[in-house]
Amino acid sequence: MSDDQVAFDRRDFLKLVGIGVAGVTAGCAKPPAEKLIPYLVAPEDILPGVPYFYASTCRECPAGCGLIVRTREGRAIKLEGNPAHPLNEGGLCARGQAGLQGLYDPDRIKTPLVKEGAGWKAVTWDEAVALVGGKIAAAKNRTTLLTGLETGSMRALAGELGSSVGAKHVMWEPFGFEALRAANRATFGIDAVPRLDVGAARCLVAFGADLLETLLSPVSQARGFAAMRAQRDDGGGHFVTVEPRLSSTGANADEWVAAKSGTEFAVALGMANVIVNEGLGPAAAERAALKGALADWTPEKVAALTDVPAETLTRLARLFAQRSPSLAVAGGIATQGTNGTALAAAVNVLNHVAGNTGRTVRFDRVLDVSGLATFAQFSVELASMAAGNCDVLLVHGANPAYAAPDWAPVKDAFLKVPFKVALSTARDETTELCDVILPISHPLESFGDAWSARGVYALQQPAMKKLPMFDSRSLGDVLIAVGKAGGGGKSWPDSYHDYLQGRWKALHARFGKGRDFETFWTESLQAGGVFEDVPATAVRWTGTPSFAASERFGPGEYALLLTPSNNFYDGRGANRPWLQELPDMTSKTVWGSWAEIHPETAQKLGVKQGEPLRVETSAGNVEVPAYIYGGIRKDTVAIALGQGHTSYGRYAKGRGVNAVRLLPKSMDEAAGAVAYQGANAKLSRGTAAMELYVQQAEKDQHDRHIAQIVPLAALLGGKAAAGHSGGGEAGAGEEEAPSAAHYPAGEGVHDVHESMTRPGKYTEPKARPEGWKPPAHAITAFEPKLKGRHPGDDPVNVGSYPGAKHRWAMTVDLNSCTGCAACVVACNAENNIPIVGPDLVRRGREMQWIRIDRFEEKVAPGANDVRFVPMMCQHCGDAPCEMVCPVYATYHSPEGLNAQVYNRCVGTRYCSNNCPYKVRAFNWFDYSAPEKTTFAFPEPLNWQLNPDVTVRSKGVMEKCTMCIQRILEGKGNAKDESRAVRDGEIQTACAQSCPTRAITFGDLADPESAVHEKSFGERRYWVFEELYTKPGVTYLQKVTRDTAGGEA
Amino acid sequence: MTKLLAAVIVCITLAAASVALSQSFNVRLGDTKGPVQPINFSHKIHAGTNQMDCKYCHYGAANSQWANIPAVSTCMGCHKFVLTDRPEIVKLTGYADRGEQIPWEKVHYLPDHVKFNHKRHVRAGFACQECHGPVQDMDRVYQFSSLKMGWCVGCHRKNLTNPNFPATMDCLVCHH
Repeated sequence: MSDDQVAFDRRDFLKLVGIGVAGVTAGCAKPPAEKLIPYLVAPEDILPGVPYFYASTCRECPAGCGLIVRTREGRAIKLEGNPAHPLNEGGLCARGQAGLQGLYDPDRIKTPLVKEGAGWKAVTWDEAVALVGGKIAAAKNRTTLLTGLETGSMRALAGELGSSVGAKHVMWEPFGFEALRAANRATFGIDAVPRLDVGAARCLVAFGADLLETLLSPVSQARGFAAMRAQRDDGGGHFVTVEPRLSSTGANADEWVAAKSGTEFAVALGMANVIVNEGLGPAAAERAALKGALADWTPEKVAALTDVPAETLTRLARLFAQRSPSLAVAGGIATQGTNGTALAAAVNVLNHVAGNTGRTVRFDRVLDVSGLATFAQFSVELASMAAGNCDVLLVHGANPAYAAPDWAPVKDAFLKVPFKVALSTARDETTELCDVILPISHPLESFGDAWSARGVYALQQPAMKKLPMFDSRSLGDVLIAVGKAGGGGKSWPDSYHDYLQGRWKALHARFGKGRDFETFWTESLQAGGVFEDVPATAVRWTGTPSFAASERFGPGEYALLLTPSNNFYDGRGANRPWLQELPDMTSKTVWGSWAEIHPETAQKLGVKQGEPLRVETSAGNVEVPAYIYGGIRKDTVAIALGQGHTSYGRYAKGRGVNAVRLLPKSMDEAAGAVAYQGANAKLSRGTAAMELYVQQAEKDQHDRHIAQIVPLAALLGGKAAAGHSGGGEAGAGEEEAPSAAHYPAGEGVHDVHESMTRPGKYTEPKARPEGWKPPAHAITAFEPKLKGRHPGDDPVNVGSYPGAKHRWAMTVDLNSCTGCAACVVACNAENNIPIVGPDLVRRGREMQWIRIDRFEEKVAPGANDVRFVPMMCQHCGDAPCEMVCPVYATYHSPEGLNAQVYNRCVGTRYCSNNCPYKVRAFNWFDYSAPEKTTFAFPEPLNWQLNPDVTVRSKGVMEKCTMCIQRILEGKGNAKDESRAVRDGEIQTACAQSCPTRAITFGDLADPESAVHEKSFGERRYWVFEELYTKPGVTYLQKVTRDTAGGEA
Repeated sequence: MTKLLAAVIVCITLAAASVALSQSFNVRLGDTKGPVQPINFSHKIHAGTNQMDCKYCHYGAANSQWANIPAVSTCMGCHKFVLTDRPEIVKLTGYADRGEQIPWEKVHYLPDHVKFNHKRHVRAGFACQECHGPVQDMDRVYQFSSLKMGWCVGCHRKNLTNPNFPATMDCLVCHH
């Protein structure tokens, strides 16, 4: 630029100044004034800002776990398990936690609707009830009420509806445990499914049973599972899984026996044969009784049928019999072939000859499933409807248009019934087929009860007023109204609440002695119900059914396995975005379907991960992305159920495929159940364009010791005293020097961790002549001490600030963690975590603060080494993220938490870059702005938001805070009561929800606390301890058991 | 090109400065008359002359993290009988009869990312006037203190070693 040229002339300068002044003035505008709206009449017992808790019952699956609902300002914002409930004892699974999103579903039905042509017309409740009542009255005993499993007072009401207006009540569940019931009828003469006392078992063998996911009562079984795995003597806690595909439950097993699909029953019989012939175990009389029936099932014959070597059968049989009481579990959709009953009966046989009947197989607190119609019975009803025998059909809590196979005459039946009424909360496929839709309130808004198991009389109460944007009514009120309008129900009160109280008078007589009914009722509501201990019904063996291999139908060399979904159960959870974004336990995929195939199968077909795979059965074909999985037999392909909805709201519609469509007509005739495992499949490369959204693509730890194990033998030998066995080496306990015990066997005596040195091309020291020593002034003359200090030698409170009153810390016990991810959904609910959708998850931009990492170690065939690691912010004492933030938005609080201050964050993302655990989530988009398409909380999902946690906006980093809002609440409560904080009083959302209590949270500075005991105990380690970040989260190694030794 | 570049730089700087400046303004600071309220409620009469305790109406302040504005029924508790002919009371009764909540104008603003816990501060023994000023002398409530973070932190720093109730300088306690 030459000297006499200025940057701009006077005019331009003035223009610029003018623009600047205008900008400044515009920025000075006052924000619009806010109003403060008080109550009109303040309720005496409610204060805004204070949480109120209501006990209720979860209705997300038939198990009926107890809930405590946390409400703020009249809104339910968080569900927790009820510690006093005998089934779940405070834990709550992922589906239970997501129940809130069923309540706040933006696509819930708003008003009563009547079908008009191709569309729907909104009508008033009076009109709708009159219409339905009129039809019921005209139908004169040709009405059917179809529901899911209902117990207690609702079942009674339905029965009374039946007798007063001639409505038949049919209860049908897609997962109806028909095979278990049929087998128990045949072998014990009881139409019931026994309770599995998993906690008392010393050896658990699961025959394709997903007892930690959807089978029977998953949370209470998980509790028992944790107790079983905590057994420390060498004879206890073994878990073997027998299934063609390693399920998510089976991933926790010590050994995987990959029997051919449909032949698992033979494995059970083979084991029983060995037990009987070798005279093992305590049940001499039982063995004698069944010897004849088992004579044929020799290990050799079984080996030929199942692909399981005879030695394995013999070894497992010895293990099972000698570690008594043991427990074999059957059931679950993944083994529901045409011989499902045979499998359940075979497992009964196995349990019986091993002496488990009455010990770990107990008919005490049995789940009440005996009123359920089997699929065969349901088909009879459907056929009757299709023949024109039903004039009015009322449907609630059942979705046969989605969940029943195509060959079940659902569509025919529905077409033939002239008047169909859907009593639904959300519009699913069955609702769309009906003529009238009556919106039903969610269980969290309704009174009710659930007698889900013997001795459990659980209550359900509204935790809040009905949501105002949905003109819904509770199921009981609607049934009473239409019953009365139909000319019946003369003895009924007008509201279901009064009816319920009437029914509970009988319980008051039994349990409420000395209290008047009102007091008894209030106390029962507060407790969540009344519970009594139930003595076990003694059973004797009544008969042995025949056993046959499963039949498969249709052409194809592959066995098609349809697996139940931990996320969606039978598909009912698909409209909850938390569950859609929750990575599947096996494949870690989200928001879609996939088919699991063995790597060799994939190679044979020329299909890579994520590429379309065409799965064709005689009933139809689908194309889904392939997922390459080593945990499946080479002749098997597996697809999870639960997706592929064609209705059911914006989150469920159009995602994945409904694999039930692939089922050819096949049934387990003995049970009257659908044979979910009845199809042969042809596999080929597909052509459709599709995406596989995988949240965790890499399941290999690459020797980073993130998930560590310790063999039980080493633990008992006291060799792993400080517990850093370096991941998976059997010989980790190498005597003497404690530091030597840290390193995998065979490393030699050098005290350097393998990650600290890596010899390379240019880093090998130059060869020096013999006896050469560096000159005294050289840096290399410094000779370090031979014994280095390993990070793991330091106590876990090395990161604590001196003088701090508390040091909040956590332990995660990998031995108890089953990978169920209840913690993930609990954290989502507690901390206002936005849902980002499949595209962003694929780009690694999911917002969850805690994730379950699944690591699959390479093992010999038969062994199993899958490890689940819950990973959240480690709250490092020497945090790599804290030192790089340019604006000090993240820092270390005096009480040991790594804090993230949202308003200071400017979004450099350096902290996430530096975090070795990759637990930080960045708000790339504005998930909290209603006007943007990325808005994650469409009304009324925003009602669920926790007011104690900031809703983050764009450009801000977030991460686990160890539920600081709960810590502050706990400290505040203690201060109000002038006492110290009690151990266990403050629980993070993840720790509170965990069904196995794998996560422990507390004050490390309190020497009496549980977290202190665990953090200084054996098996402890830090993830990436060589980085010496001094985390506040200590992991406890998973204990592995060797099932090879069949001795006592 | 140079001209254009300079212009762009100046514009960006001025825009940034104006944004920064606007964000630092507290909405109502300096306005000592207070916003006009739908009913001309005078704290001077109630809390001053009649010496009513703050927590009679604002009971939430001592029992919840959020202080409350009293319900219409609280006012009507007295004003069903007291001075029912005064024009402001007539307005109040109108609201009560119509079943309409009174839309008071908010005076004290805190942004969403600040979680202020009233109960803790009241139970720490601070008089309401320390932060809210001489409310008993105010005809119309105005914002007396700056409510900016520096003002909060100053008091917290002073009370770090308060034997009755040590305050904290931990960011996380308010920003979570």
